Amino acid sequence: MKPLIKRIFALTLLTLTALTAFAEPARADTFTFTAIPDEDESRLNERFGKVADYLSEQLGVTVKYIPVKSYPAAISAFRNDQVQLAWFGGLSGVQARHLVPGSQAIAQGYEDQFFKTYIIANTSTDLEASDEFPQGIKGRTFTFGSKGSTSGRLMPEFYIREYLGAPDEVFERVGFSGDHSRTIAQVQSGAFEVGAVNYSVYDNEVAEGKTDPAKVKVLWSTPTYPDYQWTIRGDVDARYGAGFTEKVTAALLNMTDKDLLASFPRESFVPASNADYQPIQDTGEAIGLLEE
Amino acid sequence: MSLNPAIPPTAAEATGRRLARLSGAFVLLALAALWIADIHLYRPDPWQELGRIGLGLVTPYWPDIPELALAALQTVAFALLAVAISAVLGLGLAVYFHWRVIRVLAAAIRSVHEIFWGLLLMQVWGLSATTGLLAILIPFTGIFTRVFADILSQQSPQVTDSLGRAPRLSLYAYGRIAQAWPALISYTRYRFECALRSSAILGFIGLPTLGFHLDTAFRQGDYSEAAAVLWVFLIMIGTVRFWLVPGRFWLVRGRIPRWLTLAFWLGVSVWALPASPAVSGNMLWRFISEDIWPRALLNGDLNKALSWYADVFSTDVWPALWQTLAITQVALVLTGVLTLLYYPLASKTLSGRWSAAGRFHLLLLRSVPELMLAYVFMLLFGPSALPAILALALHNGGLIAFLLANLSEQDKRVTTPDQPTGLMRVLYADIPARFPAFLALLFYRWEVMLRESAMMGVLGIATLGFYVDSAFEEIRFDKAFFLILMAALLNIGVDSLSRRLSRRAGLTAPQMG
Amino acid sequence: MFVLSGASLTYGRRTALEQISLTIDEGEKVALIGPSGAGKSSLMTLLQAQHPGLIALCPQEHGLVNILSVYQNIYMGGLARHGNLYNLLNLIRPWPANRSEVARLADRLGIGERLWASVDRLSGGQRQRVALGRALYRQQPVFFGDEPVSSLDPEQADELLGYVLAQHSTAVVAIHHPQLALKHFSRVIALKDGRIAGDWPTDRLALADLTSVYQPA
Repeated sequence: MKPLIKRIFALTLLTLTALTAFAEPARADTFTFTAIPDEDESRLNERFGKVADYLSEQLGVTVKYIPVKSYPAAISAFRNDQVQLAWFGGLSGVQARHLVPGSQAIAQGYEDQFFKTYIIANTSTDLEASDEFPQGIKGRTFTFGSKGSTSGRLMPEFYIREYLGAPDEVFERVGFSGDHSRTIAQVQSGAFEVGAVNYSVYDNEVAEGKTDPAKVKVLWSTPTYPDYQWTIRGDVDARYGAGFTEKVTAALLNMTDKDLLASFPRESFVPASNADYQPIQDTGEAIGLLEE
Repeated sequence: MSLNPAIPPTAAEATGRRLARLSGAFVLLALAALWIADIHLYRPDPWQELGRIGLGLVTPYWPDIPELALAALQTVAFALLAVAISAVLGLGLAVYFHWRVIRVLAAAIRSVHEIFWGLLLMQVWGLSATTGLLAILIPFTGIFTRVFADILSQQSPQVTDSLGRAPRLSLYAYGRIAQAWPALISYTRYRFECALRSSAILGFIGLPTLGFHLDTAFRQGDYSEAAAVLWVFLIMIGTVRFWLVPGRFWLVRGRIPRWLTLAFWLGVSVWALPASPAVSGNMLWRFISEDIWPRALLNGDLNKALSWYADVFSTDVWPALWQTLAITQVALVLTGVLTLLYYPLASKTLSGRWSAAGRFHLLLLRSVPELMLAYVFMLLFGPSALPAILALALHNGGLIAFLLANLSEQDKRVTTPDQPTGLMRVLYADIPARFPAFLALLFYRWEVMLRESAMMGVLGIATLGFYVDSAFEEIRFDKAFFLILMAALLNIGVDSLSRRLSRRAGLTAPQMG
Repeated sequence: MFVLSGASLTYGRRTALEQISLTIDEGEKVALIGPSGAGKSSLMTLLQAQHPGLIALCPQEHGLVNILSVYQNIYMGGLARHGNLYNLLNLIRPWPANRSEVARLADRLGIGERLWASVDRLSGGQRQRVALGRALYRQQPVFFGDEPVSSLDPEQADELLGYVLAQHSTAVVAIHHPQLALKHFSRVIALKDGRIAGDWPTDRLALADLTSVYQPA
């Protein structure tokens, strides 16, 4: 009997404590950013913690990194002002800047000025590499990367529609692997015959020996397009002091530490503007992913 | 001879035939569903990938132990706090389950999967403690309300009859809740295990639980790291009774009261939760009043809004709905078959000392998150509904077989000397005795499996979850909300159908856990 | 106070009571006798429905909650006198006022020493006293008991029955012992196969008249 009473009592008490524990005040002076690299998402906190330290030093405010799993999560964090700066893909950047008026693209990776998508295939398919769009992929099983990815979805879908038609109609089956590494794994295993993948992830995996060239090969490479970029909210100058946006831009462009850059992974950062991403906006509207 | 010694031959015949007819109808439906379900067997070459997964499983490795420990602790924190709060809320609501509004509320909130709740809440609260807690505790409150109400209604009415006309809450507290206390506690303990799984799975959408690292490692193909996380998770679930409220199995037996251990864990949980940034009411309001409604509706153009809804319904909802139902139906029947094959292996009375191995196997099956199983099957069998069906059937089969094995061990009747032995005992004595409970549990899981097969869509299988996930990826919350609403309605429909069918068949589910 | 005219009660196809007509006035102490299955419990159910708010019931299976203490099981009888909050807090920590009231009652019933034991630790006789305690704590003018002293030894049964009846102005009690029926009640109603087989004031009845009712037909 006694233990029962006490148990009920303890439970009630602690439940109440737990309920009130949410009210943790956010520190308004902390500058928060997020980033999803296009490959190797392991140990994000450790790797981007170093980037946060670097930015903190350069900007003179506390900088914090929060890890997210997906572009939509990054976009909603950006929109809700839970992060003020984000490393977006081409498409997610356009979506985010549309939702947060006044926000701007301030820097992109050197490689992002001329990004590409590879169409890859399992070697058992007898499809051949070519400079022309590979018409032979018609009727195969095909996997994109993540649904919101520029290189894994938007650009390949654009070219597929251009040359063949709507993906659901021209392929036997369409999948979304969710991730570039997984696209490679699924094409390599034969779960899908053909796939679309971020070129830099593919090249790196081949270089590191994670991908077996005897099992999977590149059929075609898309024309270049702009991709990943840093986007910052428009209200940061008012919150962190005039000229804050320029300070952040400068800090990013001056990032030379190979160790820090390897987290993204990019050679260096170069200036960017919203206008650079007009092609992405147009493509998104063309295939109905973005509203006009 | 009579199948069930407790029932006279004629009655046994009638009951048995009725239940057999019911099962037969379900099997036929499943065969029909096979035709609808998008099942296709590809012949991929998965052996290289599977070899790496296998190697990873036996060579678990994690470079940063504190990080893993924190993730494990946060997994426990979300689960424990969510269960503590939702059990109390659910118990309160269960007392008033005779009010229609409570029944509808409970059915509505439990009809949406934790992952969908998480995706919705994330739009407002981001990746915070609030999102994780609410994503578990909202549907769990609905589940607790229903199950607790069932348990309370099964208590002897004698007590409350002798208490006169006191206020309902007082009557229930003294008369029914106190009577049902052991059953309530045991169900809550079982739910905690489910909550651990939910909490881990929420990591797949970004909360800092074990699933976060599991998903990342899996996606990167770091199978040793994935295995490390998976083993930590499995050990955690397998040993709940040793660490959550020890006392029975501890060296210091009798010295630490259980409520104190529980209080300790609750305290640790509150401390371990990630930060929750303050959210302005504006954001919540914007989400509720604007984001989830189509633009035409906000502009006041009702016709255009209706045609928007009709369009989404015919292009996305309608095909996905059939796919979801078909996958659930096939998985349900397959679950039944697997259960009947599996449970005798885990029952001590039926399999003797081999049962320990059987039990361990079932524990593994029911602990591994279905999503993870489905992903591995996808490598094996290629992309279609097949991996989802197998994952659902194995997970749920493991769960139900475990409960049936327990029931079989408790039933002394089948061990009397006059009963047949070996396989004949299983076929003639045990399965017939277990059959009503078996069907009741399957009916109970039907709704749960529907929720899960909808959720499986996030893997790319064309169930409702696929379209929900797509809508979130495309930042179309209006569409996502409508799809989730449709999934919920479907779920409520199946829930009430399964309750009606099991009531008509005269089945009462044994306690879970 | 209670009036039945031509009342019947059926459970499915089985008839429990057939064409019962009877009147019980306030102040009467009625003993129901008859073999088991004769319809005593059914009759009490019918009567109870006429004044549910005035009756303290002591059911046959006691209706105790095993994991709660003797105190809580008795306190339950008084739930209606308090609000929800008061009752819930009492579950966590008994109120001093109720504690002394219930303790006094338990002492009177001979279970004072076991006040904080959970009732599943008690013997059959002790459990019956707890059930009586709850009925007394209801503090109602009418007492309904279904074999309320069947598990007690004869002297205790005699003593406690007298005490319980003295606390209520009206009573209807199903009872097995003809001696107790004669000693403590003003009227005896005998039931057989769902019908009234006899209805006598006790001052004109002898023990021998009653024993025949228990004989199998």
